[in-house]
Amino acid sequence: MIDPASIVPPPHPNDHKISPWVDEQIWGHRLWDSESPWLLFLEFLSVAEACYRDGNLLREDERFRPLAFKPNKRMYLRNILFNNEEMLRIAERHPDSASGWTAWLQTIEEKAFGISAPRDFSFLKKRFHSFHQFAAIVAMIRGSDVEGTSNKRWTSRFLFPFGPNALYEDLIANPTSGTVSRDYVNFGRTGELLYLMLCRSSRKDELTKHLTRILEPGGPWNQLVGLLQPANADDERSTRGNSYLPYKQHSTFDRLSGDWISVLTLRLPRYDVLPYLVTLGALHIVLYQLGLSIEWQERAKPLHLVCEIVAPRKSLVRELSFESYIENNLLPMQAVTAYIDQIAHSTAWRDALNDPGGFVHCRQILQDRVRWGESPEDYDGPSDPNALLGELRAVSLSGHKQHVANVHRSYGREIGLVSKRGTNKLRYAPTDSLLKALLLANVPDRMELGEFLQRLFDRYGFVIGDRQAENVLPKELFDKKAFQANARRLEERLGSLGLLKRLSDGCAYVANPYRQPSI
Amino acid sequence: MNWIKFIRQYGPIPRNDNMYDESIQRAARKRAVRPIIFEHPSHHSVLSLFDAQREPTSVILTGTAGDGKTHLCREVWEKLTGERGGLNEPLVQASCTYAGGRKIPVYIIKDLSEWAPQGGATWDPAKEQLLQRFCRSIFDSAASEVFLVAANDGQLIESWRRLSNDPHVARARNVFETLLVEDRQELPGINLKFFNLSRGSSAALFDRALNAFLNHEGWEECRNVSAGEQDFFGINCPIRHNYELLQKELVRKRLRALLELCDFNDLHVPIRQILLLLSNAVLGHPDAKDCLMRPLDIPTLIQRGAISKASLYNNIFGGNLPENRREAITVFDYLERFRIGHETTNRIDNILIFGEADEKFRAHFDLLVASDRFYGADDRYRAAQLEYLEGTDDDGKYKPFLQLLVSKRRGLFFVIPEDLENELGLWELTVFKYAGEYLSRLVAPLRAARPVEQPIVARLIKGLNRIFSGMLVTTDRELLLATSLSFSNAKISRLLEERVSVRPRLHEKVEVTFDGMLPKLTVCLTEQIARSLDLHLVRYEFLSRVAEGALPSSFSRECYEDILAFKGQLLAALAERQQLHKDLETEHSLTIRLLNLDDVGNPTEDIIEVLND
Repeated sequence: MIDPASIVPPPHPNDHKISPWVDEQIWGHRLWDSESPWLLFLEFLSVAEACYRDGNLLREDERFRPLAFKPNKRMYLRNILFNNEEMLRIAERHPDSASGWTAWLQTIEEKAFGISAPRDFSFLKKRFHSFHQFAAIVAMIRGSDVEGTSNKRWTSRFLFPFGPNALYEDLIANPTSGTVSRDYVNFGRTGELLYLMLCRSSRKDELTKHLTRILEPGGPWNQLVGLLQPANADDERSTRGNSYLPYKQHSTFDRLSGDWISVLTLRLPRYDVLPYLVTLGALHIVLYQLGLSIEWQERAKPLHLVCEIVAPRKSLVRELSFESYIENNLLPMQAVTAYIDQIAHSTAWRDALNDPGGFVHCRQILQDRVRWGESPEDYDGPSDPNALLGELRAVSLSGHKQHVANVHRSYGREIGLVSKRGTNKLRYAPTDSLLKALLLANVPDRMELGEFLQRLFDRYGFVIGDRQAENVLPKELFDKKAFQANARRLEERLGSLGLLKRLSDGCAYVANPYRQPSI
Repeated sequence: MNWIKFIRQYGPIPRNDNMYDESIQRAARKRAVRPIIFEHPSHHSVLSLFDAQREPTSVILTGTAGDGKTHLCREVWEKLTGERGGLNEPLVQASCTYAGGRKIPVYIIKDLSEWAPQGGATWDPAKEQLLQRFCRSIFDSAASEVFLVAANDGQLIESWRRLSNDPHVARARNVFETLLVEDRQELPGINLKFFNLSRGSSAALFDRALNAFLNHEGWEECRNVSAGEQDFFGINCPIRHNYELLQKELVRKRLRALLELCDFNDLHVPIRQILLLLSNAVLGHPDAKDCLMRPLDIPTLIQRGAISKASLYNNIFGGNLPENRREAITVFDYLERFRIGHETTNRIDNILIFGEADEKFRAHFDLLVASDRFYGADDRYRAAQLEYLEGTDDDGKYKPFLQLLVSKRRGLFFVIPEDLENELGLWELTVFKYAGEYLSRLVAPLRAARPVEQPIVARLIKGLNRIFSGMLVTTDRELLLATSLSFSNAKISRLLEERVSVRPRLHEKVEVTFDGMLPKLTVCLTEQIARSLDLHLVRYEFLSRVAEGALPSSFSRECYEDILAFKGQLLAALAERQQLHKDLETEHSLTIRLLNLDDVGNPTEDIIEVLND
């Protein structure tokens, strides 16, 4: 049940030309499916860096006014790294450093995009021993881009987040005007939602300390990336913002920050912690989407995901995981329908039904609630409230299916929760890297395996072992042996990853490798 | 013969495991035979705690089924009360006189699983209270009662979790977990000695069990039966032949080596399983009842010419049993992991297949195969061999021969003389090609407190370097700690953080040490900062194979992950050391060391120095 007092008032209609405004009221503006988990995390980091620079890390306005921030563009850096094909050719053709610099500076100053005149790259000469050394370093840094294999435009290629010098926002180049601007294709705003969620979590002060370490301008690699940028700080930043998270607090926000804090506390060497933050961040977005879908439908049964630890043959657990996936995949759509049905059952609507001139009221009610219905462009059919509602449902669902409905599947696949491995349909089959991330977040030192399975169920709804399955599945579908075999496979997988210590007698302990003094 | 019928009880017959002890005792009484008994390696350590010179200390005995927990409880009971029998109840009480002449009650729970509530039932309040007193007593240095509890480790933790939450209970559970997982016998300040019997040496148990088995008077009786050629214990009897083979020095040595290697792979074989192995080895035959021969089976088997199927060498691996039964038995599962019989070399197979016909292999064939008139080249073998060599292309025809080959290869493992070990590649009959070297050139010198030969250490270093860098480096004089730009665990790591010298230099060194149980590879960065990697047999094999050219992702993924985790630890240790020298570093320039290889595989460094504004 959603408590109305916990809902943040929605932004002014003029701030967003979105109609109907349904998905956004349930999950916020916005959940975007074409963002991979790494892009999600990078978007989050660019927001966090901007707020940190303003001295506001994880601090939000008390009245929950829309978050505004000024992320870096770093066009010098990006031109050097990603809009610079001639560099290696010039390095080959000019064995002498001075002529190499001259030739290259000429090319880059001509080609550089998104930087207003004067485009002066000569600051680089003082910082590197030679042009060839500069070229080698650029090639090396370029090689550590994130998801470099997908054919993206150069303005959407991202560097590994070595530190604040490597963070910038997603941009699109407008060839006609010669400027760059923001579109929301790669950074789709879900990273902003992630940031807001952490702002509203109960452990944000603790998290702030850890994030400060990541955002602090230190570290050799961050320095190195900084060398490719001019010293003066003016970056022609633009103000961004305007996302909307409907809830002042929620258990998902706390679980997310809890998991991040657990992993950050481990003090993994250098940047090793980042992939785990990426995976856990995207996981909690999925659980957020599904969890809220259930709350809006007022369903009593909590969220659960039957997970198959991949087996060589078809098994009962696999069948159940297919069904579990399909059932959960429908939840967001059902939530949209439930939301609209709530309007239909509201007193205002029912009054309007009884009122002879009520149809106009109906349209007004809808316009107030979901910013849709008054204009004839929205609806110009017969003056029948049911038909009006039907049209609203159809329009909402079709809009929902384009993007928000896909978040569960696309994020799920990217983090290794959902897959078709070994079969031809999608189902829940956690990969080794997801299992490792879950272990690092939940096992500070060591934990008996049964306890670990229970914890996965309590915190995420994962059903892997027989004890959890028994509680959740109807009697006729439950098979103890199948789930015991499933748990045993988990034991073997964790063992092969070096994360489990087997004692005899089926007694096993999962252990966090970053807590042991010697192997 | 009663003795033979009795030792069948130790074998892989279908039985209820909880009643093992009772059924052995019952069978012994029924056949009027003495059970196979020997002194448990932990006998002295455990019994000495119940002594007039000691302070009162509680004891927990844990391990799997068949580790000897009940047996040790009986020994303690006998010491305290003088009675042999009488340990029939799950909980009994005795008393012991300790130092200072104090007489203190001793509660013995010989099997926690018998005594604890079954299924999801809750604890009986009286029993719960007793265990709570136990928990209190171990934190009390002036305890007034002592407990001896025997339980499987899973049972121990599980039962404690179901006790209601009392701070002593929770503390006790923590203590047990620490002792179990960290493999310790005691903790300071805790009045408890913890014996995990599944941590002992399987090889040591094997020595004692084998002696007790072979020297038992039951065999005397068998020998005294005057047997004819076709009779039980006659000159053609496979049971007698197997018994004699087990007494052979070489067979004992090889079998013991296998069990020792199990220990070095962290696989412990309990006593019960060793006795099963011995019983099955001597009596095994696929056609007999329960796959174990009885005296009355012998004449028929000899007549049918089926004695070669009773091969001791095959029985040791449970080859006489159907697959599903074999897979469920621990000792055969462990021995199966060596893949003896399935691994081979061209050399070995040439001897087996072409030995008789080909001059080149004739000598070895005669020595190793033909000379064994029981399990060597009998008519069955020759017939299948002929079919294989000269038969038609029909698929089914050579399958029997290939199965026979498995058995023959197993035989070779126990028969190849020591002086031919290297020439014929004895250990290449197993999946651990470096196992022989592991025992003779790694473990043996370490046990004798001698240093390990340089080539062995060099190979380990080379293997580590290849995994750490992901490239085919050939250096073995220093350890290369390399990472990649973003992740320290990437497959290829080209950024060199440090080169650690193997030979002692300043405070750095890399050496192979021994802690009494396992060899370890220790990397010392300073006098205080060091990290170790346990060298189990698997890891040794893995590193050696990688050093000789295998790819890190082959052979064992678990080992690969373990080694990468070790690299992570070394990098963390390096950071620790760098913190100490922080004031000596210049902050003015940034140095990057890119790792490259020359044509021969030697690592070279490209140093890139960048100036700071």
